[in-house]
Amino acid sequence: MSRTKSIFESHRLQSILVAVVVIAVWQGACKLFDISSLVLPTPLAIAARFYELVASGTIWPHLWATTVEIVAGFVFGVVAGLAIGAMVSLIPVVERLVYPYLVALQTLPKVAIAPLFIIWFGYGLTSKIVITALVCFFPILVSVVAGFHATDRDELDMMKAFGATKWQTLVRLRIPSALVLIFAGLEIAAVLAVFGAIVGEFVGAQVGLGYLIVALNFSLDVPGVFAVLIVLSAIGLVMHGAMRYAARRYIFWIRRNEAPVMA
Amino acid sequence: MTQLAAQFETGEGARLPASGSPPPWIRISGVEKRFSSRSGEIVNALSNVNLYIQDGEFISVVGPSGCGKTTLLRILAGLETASSGTVHSGGEMVTRPRADAGVVFQQAVLLPWNTVLDNVMLPAKLKGDASAARVARAERLLDFMGLKDFARKYPFELSGGMQQRVSICRALMRDPKVLLMDEPFGALDAMTRESMNMELMRVWSEERKTVVFITHSIPEAVLLGDRVVVMSPRPGRISEVVDIDIPRPRNLKTMGTPRFGELCDHIRTIFGAASQTVSSL
Ligand SMILES: Nc1ncnc2c1ncn2[C@@H]1O[C@H](COP(=O)(O)OP(=O)(O)OP(=O)(O)O)[C@@H](O)[C@H]1O
Ligand SMILES: [Mg+2]
Repeated sequence: MSRTKSIFESHRLQSILVAVVVIAVWQGACKLFDISSLVLPTPLAIAARFYELVASGTIWPHLWATTVEIVAGFVFGVVAGLAIGAMVSLIPVVERLVYPYLVALQTLPKVAIAPLFIIWFGYGLTSKIVITALVCFFPILVSVVAGFHATDRDELDMMKAFGATKWQTLVRLRIPSALVLIFAGLEIAAVLAVFGAIVGEFVGAQVGLGYLIVALNFSLDVPGVFAVLIVLSAIGLVMHGAMRYAARRYIFWIRRNEAPVMA
Repeated sequence: MTQLAAQFETGEGARLPASGSPPPWIRISGVEKRFSSRSGEIVNALSNVNLYIQDGEFISVVGPSGCGKTTLLRILAGLETASSGTVHSGGEMVTRPRADAGVVFQQAVLLPWNTVLDNVMLPAKLKGDASAARVARAERLLDFMGLKDFARKYPFELSGGMQQRVSICRALMRDPKVLLMDEPFGALDAMTRESMNMELMRVWSEERKTVVFITHSIPEAVLLGDRVVVMSPRPGRISEVVDIDIPRPRNLKTMGTPRFGELCDHIRTIFGAASQTVSSL
């Protein structure tokens, strides 16, 4: 990522260059040290396997199932996080009585409770959607609560000085101010959604990319596992990119260098 | 404009609290403000502050940092309540922000997600009146402040000085009787500051506001004010109120006149006396 050569100034070009170098070194190292494809398959082998999985149609039902889990879980988790976060922020009693328990609940490793959800909601998509929703819920909850507390004091005084009612202050100041942190939470939740769905599928599923990974692993198809990993990271990137795009659109007043950190 | 200013001149004598003159618009009587700090000790931010301000008068407030200028302004704006004493404005006691006051804070405090025009419109919108007439007034104010071409821009696309001008437009939006300004030009460079001073004097002479103007700059206080209130710290109180007997209209050349220099020196002397008592404590 040399900064001195002007031809490589473009960040996109730099990223592509890094990828090309890494893949080339990877390919070269596998050949040079004669690494077994059971340990680390070559990029070319992964690409070939990826093409097979797509061309044979094997991957589609799994991709569909996992995508549904991720998107539905994300949506439910975000909606619940926004709703409960708003209640916690706006109703002092709820904050005092309920929020401590929610925070305590958050410390539970979600992986550990995933088997319970399989028992409660079955082996189908529902249990994965619930797990994904739960995983997405907490970052949103925390960012909403933090967001509402982050309202600038001077701006509050300004609203008050110009005679704003509580409701007007909420709509015109508190909610837009909170959006900055909420979008940071959304970015985190978008990535965690993929994690949640896969964890759910690992614990028990009949379909899905997580299930496919377990199955391919079982048959020692390591290039296949890598191919699915690439699909998973692509989903994660799309989810994350969508949130970044939305953030740029809806919190446009945040300058680029102040944007959420998970760039 | 000059005619307005001249007309205003004739009324100047009437602003002195003499018998038979109209009652003062703002009455600050025995105002005290104590803050209890985190460590539990009591900070006397204001102690026995008394000041009567006539309708249409321009009051400058100067004083060293921490002497309670902002605290006094916040009490006048109804954002803070006095520990004891009262503030009356237009015959009513000030207990919360009043519709007839416009506040300009030290920072512009514009809402970053609203355009310049929407920021200026905010006071009107909060009153549920976003009519075309209000938009026209907002646009007129922006034009007046030289920001006509920036109405659709966002605050982050403006310089600090432009943002502060927007916040002045916002304060003027509801055509307030009283304009409360807390070091509005503190963050500006000397040149911009001088032109802002000129613009403020123009606004004041045309719109006839009662202004309380806090500043760190003694020349600025003298240039703009009918009277300069000099405050001293610990506890915050008024050490002297200086009448500025320089005729209006004033301009930047006024700052070169001997009388201007005398008044500035006099205020500096009060400052010096106050800081001596502080250092001897
Ligand atoms: N909310 C508060 N809690 C505790 N102390 C406060 C509070 N606000 C102000 N003070 C204290 O009151 C005193 C006066 O503060 P104030 O902000 O009015 O000063 P100022 O004259 O405006 O100073 P500056 O010129 O630096 O703006 C200071 O000693 C400050 O520490
Ligand atoms: Mg201050």
